[in-house]
Amino acid sequence: MADDLQRKIQSELEIYKSLQKEYSKAVQTRQQLDGQLNENQIVKDELNILREDSAVYKSVGPILIKTDLVEAKQNVAKRMDYIGKEMKRIDDQILSIEKKQDGHREILQKLQHQFQQAQVKAAMKA
Amino acid sequence: MAQISAREAPHLQQIDLTTLNLQQLSTLKQQLDQELNLFQESLTSLKMAQTKFQNSGECLEKITSDLEGRSILVPLTGSMYVPGKLVDVNNVIIDIGTRYYAQKDIESGKDYFKRKINFVTEQMEKIQVLGLEKSKIRDAVVEVMELKMQNQTA
Repeated sequence: MADDLQRKIQSELEIYKSLQKEYSKAVQTRQQLDGQLNENQIVKDELNILREDSAVYKSVGPILIKTDLVEAKQNVAKRMDYIGKEMKRIDDQILSIEKKQDGHREILQKLQHQFQQAQVKAAMKA
Repeated sequence: MAQISAREAPHLQQIDLTTLNLQQLSTLKQQLDQELNLFQESLTSLKMAQTKFQNSGECLEKITSDLEGRSILVPLTGSMYVPGKLVDVNNVIIDIGTRYYAQKDIESGKDYFKRKINFVTEQMEKIQVLGLEKSKIRDAVVEVMELKMQNQTA
């Protein structure tokens, strides 16, 4: 009986740990996306300040290629749109992992409680 | 370069520190220490960014119209140079982030770096305020911890 319980606790613990890993990974991705979004926002602001006839370049590897200002603006807007969508996706993911984590934490606490009770009983018998 | 918001998360509720036990307090302290470390790191990298912008801005000060036509040595690699001539001293190309570069005249270039320095300085000030608040909370936690430990030994 006690062995069975211990095994259960072990497997629950493993699930919980892997959820934690998943969670921190998602949070990291979310932070990265946030940073990218901010950087793009800054570039967008900068492009908006530029005069219409300003030359804009895009670096491709070591060389700079001249691009159209309008095109550059569109490109940045598109990127921000994409990053925003990605962020929403990750946010949902984080929420669902949080829910799962809470559920498993509860199960774990219950199991640990059972285990303690079983130990107390065994001690009383001995 | 993330914007730092100074407002607190609205869902945080006030907790009386004295109601927590020692273990909870030490976890809280660890968390606060971690956050403080993060602030310190952010401050260091912001300081670096500030210096970079400052250097670039100062460099622009040195480009004047009487430099036109002067010969210079252009670095191809860290240790190899080719002779060149300054053709245009009125415009510079500035990295504005995410691999985009914009051509600006000297004046708007200076303005760009001034703006950047201001932005970075602002962020640094925000972090300093936040850090001060956090370290106050940390001090309070440490105080309560010491009190509890004294009570335990007494």
